[in-house]
Order: sequence, then structure tokens, then C-alpha cells
Amino acid sequence: MFAYFNPYSGQHFFGFLLEFLKRMGLFFTGQLSVNDFASDEIQIIVLVGMAASAALVGSFLVLRRMTMLANSLSHTILLGIVIAFLFTSGGLLSYDDARPEPININAMLLAAFLMGIVTTFFTEFLTKTVRLQEDASTGVVFTTLFALGIILVTLFTRNAHIGTEVVMGNVDALRLDDCKLIFVILGINLVLFFLFFKEYKITTFDAGLAKALGISTVFFNYLLMSQASLTIVGAFRAVGVLMVLAFITGPPLIARLLTDDLKKMLLLAVGIGAVASIFGVAVTRHILSVHGVALSTAGVVVCTMLVLFVLAVLWKKRGERVNRQT
Amino acid sequence: MESPLLFFTDAVLRAPTIGSMLMCLAAAIVGVLVFLRKQSLLGESLSHAAYPGVVIGVMVAGALGLEEHQSSMIAIFIMMGAFITALIGLWTIHWLVRKLRFRSDSALCFILSSFFGIGITLASNVQYVYSSLYRQIQSYLYGQTATMTDIHIYVYGIFSLLIVLTVVLFYKELQAMTFDRDYAKSLGIKTKPIDALLFILITLAVVIGIRSVGVVLMSAMLIAPAVAARQYTNKMFVMFFLAGLFGLISGFLGNYFSVELNNYLSLKYPTDRLVIPTGPMIVMVASVICVVSLFFAPERGLIVRLIRIGSFRYRCMCENLLKAIWRHSSKKEISFDEIEKYQSLSPIYLRFLLWRLSMSGWLEKLDANAYKLTVDGNLWAAKIVRLHRLWEVYLANYLGVGAERVHRNAEEMEHIITPELERELTLLLKDPRTDPHHQPIPPRH
Amino acid sequence: MENHDHSPALEIHQMTVNYDKTPVLWDISLEIPRGKLVGIIGPNGAGKSTFIKAVLGLVQPISGKIEFFGQPLKDVRRRVAYVPQRESVDWDFPITVRDLVLMGRYGRLGLFRWPRAADRVAADHYLETVGMSAYAHRQISQLSGGQQQRVFIARALFQEADVYLMDEPFAGIDLGTEKILMGLLRKLKNAGKTVFVVHHDLNSVEEYFDWLLMLNMRLIAAGPVAEVFNPETLHETYGKSYSLFDEALKLSQHKAKGL
Repeated sequence: MFAYFNPYSGQHFFGFLLEFLKRMGLFFTGQLSVNDFASDEIQIIVLVGMAASAALVGSFLVLRRMTMLANSLSHTILLGIVIAFLFTSGGLLSYDDARPEPININAMLLAAFLMGIVTTFFTEFLTKTVRLQEDASTGVVFTTLFALGIILVTLFTRNAHIGTEVVMGNVDALRLDDCKLIFVILGINLVLFFLFFKEYKITTFDAGLAKALGISTVFFNYLLMSQASLTIVGAFRAVGVLMVLAFITGPPLIARLLTDDLKKMLLLAVGIGAVASIFGVAVTRHILSVHGVALSTAGVVVCTMLVLFVLAVLWKKRGERVNRQT
Repeated sequence: MESPLLFFTDAVLRAPTIGSMLMCLAAAIVGVLVFLRKQSLLGESLSHAAYPGVVIGVMVAGALGLEEHQSSMIAIFIMMGAFITALIGLWTIHWLVRKLRFRSDSALCFILSSFFGIGITLASNVQYVYSSLYRQIQSYLYGQTATMTDIHIYVYGIFSLLIVLTVVLFYKELQAMTFDRDYAKSLGIKTKPIDALLFILITLAVVIGIRSVGVVLMSAMLIAPAVAARQYTNKMFVMFFLAGLFGLISGFLGNYFSVELNNYLSLKYPTDRLVIPTGPMIVMVASVICVVSLFFAPERGLIVRLIRIGSFRYRCMCENLLKAIWRHSSKKEISFDEIEKYQSLSPIYLRFLLWRLSMSGWLEKLDANAYKLTVDGNLWAAKIVRLHRLWEVYLANYLGVGAERVHRNAEEMEHIITPELERELTLLLKDPRTDPHHQPIPPRH
Repeated sequence: MENHDHSPALEIHQMTVNYDKTPVLWDISLEIPRGKLVGIIGPNGAGKSTFIKAVLGLVQPISGKIEFFGQPLKDVRRRVAYVPQRESVDWDFPITVRDLVLMGRYGRLGLFRWPRAADRVAADHYLETVGMSAYAHRQISQLSGGQQQRVFIARALFQEADVYLMDEPFAGIDLGTEKILMGLLRKLKNAGKTVFVVHHDLNSVEEYFDWLLMLNMRLIAAGPVAEVFNPETLHETYGKSYSLFDEALKLSQHKAKGL
């Protein structure tokens, strides 16, 4: 339940940030309970958590040139979600009179995980056994499964607009349970990356050496894909399946422009994702307060990332010019 | 159920049907080139990059005071907007790859998602500012042909024709460039301008296609028909033709099923006003055609190939069996147990093979447990042994492979060597009498 | 048209080719007379393929002048034929052997024109010359390495050019095919054509070529085989005395990237 009075309504951009910091301070000193969180705060928490997961997973996806597979996954996961939806009693997106219970976290995670395996399996099958070129295999698999997913989801929810919501998410409908989901996923990602950092690093940069050391690149590809599936399904309600890709590719690419070191890149990517999320929510609130227009929060966050990208490019070009003069 | 012919004549149905067919035709033709260049996912990025253009088009239309019912005019603004942002997206991808050294997949995915995000942001604005026009944007997400009119047929038809015509005019240049860009350049073909032309065609096909298939699924119509077509032919010209055909079929059936399904749903759930967008239906048809082609196309289909592999393996096993019997006792009879001793096959399967061989006349079954090679069986087995030993001589004498190693490879090659190859080997090796193991080589028959 | 009967087949003045601000070919100057079979040799990464591509305008040199028969390439394109490396081609492409050969005249035909009957007859003739007539309607992916190379040569012959530039035509093919192809190249030379061949096997250099270009980023030597092919030049081409040079190049590469 959110606070009946939203402390952020009517706030300007800087007022928003100040209010946010104040309330976070109160929260951390125990004076504000989790149940009193305003919807804006929940949005920030979910987006930041999701951006962090996406940045971590995305960094490795970008370095391993698996981003198209992630795009594929973000589409096919819809089918998994539909199937999970059919087997559980939870609702799909926003508060639904027909299905008032919240989403079933375990079902979502399981569906995502399985869908990730299925997608990768079909794509590999087409590439290796049917001998279809890789770009076409990826394309055929995700478009077919996504088309199927859209048809099924429209039929079963009997909601003609669900197709749109699935793709855009509905940030305003997020609740505390979504925070829980995000943190479970972030936790899993952090643990796995911490445990397997060396292995991920080796299999990304030197597959030959990895093989010689007995480290299976295939296993880590599948593991990374599974982590990506979890991350995507966590993002599904917040930003929709398609914009997740921006969180997965954007911050890592920006970070890559700024550093060559893997650890720094991971940290920077998480930071950039987090900053863009907070900024995005603040700006959306600002525009709502000042101009009365309710823009899509997810969209604004992505636009923020684009701006950060441009800044990073300019910074880099300036750096190169300075270097050349020395 | 309506008659399919009605879809071409009925005033309401014909525009969506013919319009979709033409759009899918154009996309399929262009898709062949994209497929051969191994850039199949370019369509995905272009269609998502077109989305903000769709929204901007609507915003401009709204600002100019256009109303919802002036859908054709709005459609023109939408197309222009989509075309411009898609081209910007394309240019940005090139810039990212060339100047910033991005990998192509990262560039494609980044542009895809960022532009889409911009589009969503703008769309959320339109939802409030020009809310009556918002529906126009929505129909471009997954495609919605139901509201198309005859004017759409003309406009999209002209562009489709333009695309097909351009491909025909520049056919040989496109073929040479797609096959080997450097070589084409060396011939004096102006690759840069023709490349640019191709990219404009691809963008155009995507932009006109998103009305019926939608931004999210557009790439399917570039990929699926081309993939399916490739399965049936080795000639690029035929590939274009088949892909176009599959595109037309998908456009038609997709619309047909979409209309039928929506009619059924409006009867079953009249209050929900449920409408399935056309894009997914068209894509499903195209995907089914694609998957069926991948599995069952004569020659290249997977199932067909597996059957061929299976029958080849079966033949190898038969030949090995005959060979073993021949080596053991070519003129005499041999008991089942003796055969079984030297084979690693299961007894049931062995009995089956022996039965098949006797049915086909290569073996004679004397009684319950004894078999004997027929004259034909003898000849066939001798030939296999000859090929095996000939090959061993070739490996040992010409390629310097040690006598202890030639047997393994010869075990495979004996089933593969064609009569022409056998003739050449006999000539080359001067019809040898013994193999590296000093065993006699059966003479030619 | 001016009479250039005695101009060299290929003349290069101080050509330098960069890849990303690092020189790949440096300050190459040479003059090759007509009617020679020219071998191009050098270690891996020495720029032999780049040399061919630069001369054909496929890669832009940052400096230098290149002339065929005393004229720039764009004026004499018809007289120059390129045989690319076999591995650079997508052999799964849907095209038959004969259609691949026909590609050789696409430049000559110009835009909006289709191959004519005379072209098809000529294509069949050249397929016959390389012994591939039986495969005219075969899909190229079904060919073996030697057969693919023969088709490439047929295409080059089909162009009926005066200069032929071949990138590793003998890589990965059997000796028999190599001999056949070499025979064809000799016929070309005897007809007054100039043939450049990037070659990797030092053992056959003296037997195959009458002229030699020895490349290792710089032109080590260029001239008749007898004069130029000796231990000193070989050592310069293949030896390690230029490792310092390599290191310096690597450093300049890094500097250019701002590292």
C-alpha cells in the first residue's frame, strides 16, 4: 500500500531529489517503514535494482557479442510469461479485477529460466542442425515465438491493449512485491558474478585458454543466458520487455567508452544505470508537476541514457584530441 | 466463414488484404538481399527506429489540426516520419560501427532499444495531447490493417512496385556486390551508391510494411520468406520469385485468418471488443511456411536430409554385412551364429538385415540358420572389397599413409567411391593385384 | 587514344597504405614491364593481399601514384582482372558455376544491361578451357577447392583483360590442378598478358615465375627472378631483423588510439 499522501506530487526536479534523499535518510535511520513508501520511491528502487542487474548482465553480453540473443530472449520471454500466467492465479500486469492477486514470483522466474533455455536451444538447433545462418536463426525463433505469445496473451487476458502494455510496462502499477522480485534477481546476479567472475572473464576474452584450462564456454553461455532471462522477466512489469534491451546495452556501452578495465566497466555501468533511473523518475515527476503531462517513465529513463551516451562520446573525443596533442 | 474471393472484392476487406499482400511482397524481395548479406537483423533495428518517426508524424499531423478520420493524410505524415527516423537510425548504426568501433550487434541493439524508448516517450505525450490520434500510433505497434482504405492500396502499391522494379533494374550489380563486394568493385561497379540505394530500399520496405505487420514483428517478413525460398533453389532469381510468392501468401492468409478470428471473437465475447492485431497472424503464417520449408523442402529440408543419411547408413550396414560374409565364406553357407560373432549389431536387427538382404536377392536363406551369398550378392560384396583395397593402395602409395592406418579410412570410403572415381583409381594405380596387407584385390566386373 | 605500346603494365610511385594510422605498405615504387609472370612473395601479414587491393583501388592508399599502361585504373578497368582469395567468398551463395563466370563481364555491360548470347558462349568456352564444362549448372558449394579455383580462373579469362591480379590462387589446391592452372597462366604470358600471382610456396618460385616482387611492408626487391631471388633478399624479406620496426609500429598504433 502506498502512502495516501504522495510527498512527491507537485515537486520540481530538485525538490524531488531533496525529498527523496530526506526520505531515504529517514528510512535508513529506521524512522520510515517500507510500507510507507510512495509510488515514486518504489519506482526508483525497482528501476535502480533492475538497471543494476541489467548493467551487470549486459556488460558481459556486450563483450561476448550476445546482445542479439538478449533481444531475442526479451521477446520470447513473453510466451513464457503467458504460460506461467495460465498455470498460476496471479495477475499479469496492472491491478486486474479478474485476478486480484499479485504475480507469482516463483512462476515468473521458472518460466523465464525455461524460456531462456528453450530459445537458446531452438536457435542453436537451427544454426547447427538445420544449418541456417545465425542471424536468420535468431530472427526466425524470436519472431515466431513472440507472435505466438502476443496472440495467446491477447486471447487469454481478453484484453486488446495488453500487447501495448507488455511492451511498455506500467511503472505506476509497481508495488512492494515487485521490489522483492527485483532484489531477488539482483541478489542472484551478484552472487553468480561474484562466484564466477574469473570464469566469466576468461570465457569472454580468451575462449581458447578457457578450454585449455577445462572451463566450459558453453556452460557459461547458458548460465549468462539464464541470468539474462531472469533479469528480463524482472524488468517486464516495470519497463516492458522491449526497453529492457536499452538497460542491457546502454550503460555497458557507455561504460566501455570510458574505460578499458572490466571491473571498472561493471561498476560504471551499474552507476550509470542507477543514475539514469533516478534522474528519469525525477524528470517525469517534474514534467507532471510543471506541465501536467504524464510521460512514460521508462521512456524518459532511456532518453536520459541516450543523453549520457552522447556526453560520453563527446568526453571521449575530447580526450582523444588532448592525447594527440601530447 | 467468408469466401476468400470476397477479400479481394469487398470494399472493406480488399484494402487490408491487397495492401498487406503488396507490403509483404516488397519486404520479402528486399529480405532476400538482406538475408544473403547475412544482415537479417537489420530489419529489426530499422523497424524499431521507425517508431519514433511514426509518433512524430502523428504529432505533426495533430499540430496541423488533422482529425482522426483523415487517416490517409495522417498515414502520409507517419510514413515520412518513419522513413526519416529509420534512416537516422541506420546512419547512426553505421557511425557507431565505423567511428566508435562498436560491434555490429551492439550497435543494432542499442539503436533499436534507444529509438524505441524515444518513441515510447513521445507516444506517452501524444496520448494526452492528441489523444484521439493515439490510436493511430498503436496500430503501428503490431499492425492493424482493418482501417485501411483503397488509397492505401495505391500508395503502398506504388512503393512496392518501385522496390521490385529497382531490384530488377540493378539485379546483376546487387548480385555481384552481395556475393563479393571487392570483386564487384574491381569490375568497376559503383558499390557505394548502390549500397546506399539498397539501404534506402530496405528502409522503404520496412516503413511501408509496419502498417500491416507492426514495428515489433516487421523483421520477420524480411527473414522468413527469404529463408523459406532458399530451401527450394540454388538460383538467386528463383529465390526472389519464391520469396515474393511466400510474402504474398502470408499477407493474404494472415489477413484472412485475422478477420475470421476477430469475427469469431466478437461473436463469442461481444462485450470485450477483442481485436487481434494483424501483424502476429501474418508472421505466424510466414513462420509456418518457413519452418515447413526448413524441414521438408526436397533436397535441403532437414527431414529429407535425415532420411537420406539414414538410408545411406542402412546401405553401409548392408554392405558391411555382405562383405563380412564374403570374406568368411564367399561360396559356402554360413550359420547365423557365425555371422553374429563378428558383428556388433543386436541379434534382432541382424536378423532383420539378413531378412531384407535375402528379400532383395543378395542372400539366400537355406534353412533356419544358414545363409549363402547369391551370385549377385557375391559380385556386390567383391566390389566393395575391391574399392576398399584399391583405396588402401592409393592412400599407402600416393599419400604415404602407413599401412597400419589405411584400413580405417578405407572402411568409410568403400561405400562412397563412385564408378567414375573407381575408374580413375584403377588407371592411376595401374590395376593393382594386392593391397598394402598383401590381400588380393578382386578384379573389376 | 594515345599509343601506349611501350608503357609498363604496372607502375607505382611511392605508394603507402595505412590501416588505422599504421602503415601496412610503405613507400612502394616499382615498374613492371608487359608480358611477365610476376610472383609476389613475403611472410604472412607482409601486405601482399593489401598490395593487390591497393593497386585495384579496393583500399585507398594515403599516398602514391598507380598507373596501368601509363594511365590511372579508372581509365583502363576493362584491361585489369582480379582473382580474389578463395576463402574470402561465401560459397553458400545461390549461384551456379556458369553464372559466376558471367559475372566477369558485369562491369563491361554497365547498368541496366543483361549478359548477351555472345557472353554466354564465351563463358562456356572458358569453362571448357579450365575443364569445368560438366559443372556449368552446378551450385558452387558443391565444388571442391581445386574446382572452385578453376572456376575463378575461368572468370578471369572471361574478362579478356591484359593484366591479371591473383591473390593466392594456389592455396589449398592439389598439385594436379596447380599444374593445369600454371599452364593456363603461361599461355596468358605468351600472349603478351601480364599476370601477378601472390604465392606462398618458395620452392616453386623459380619454376613458375620470370619476375618477382618481394614484399615485407616495404618492397625488398623487384625484378627478374634470376637477379632477385637469392639468400640475401630472402633473408631481408623473411628474416627477423625488422622486429624493432614491428615494435615501433605497435607503439604508434597504441598512440593513435590514445592509449
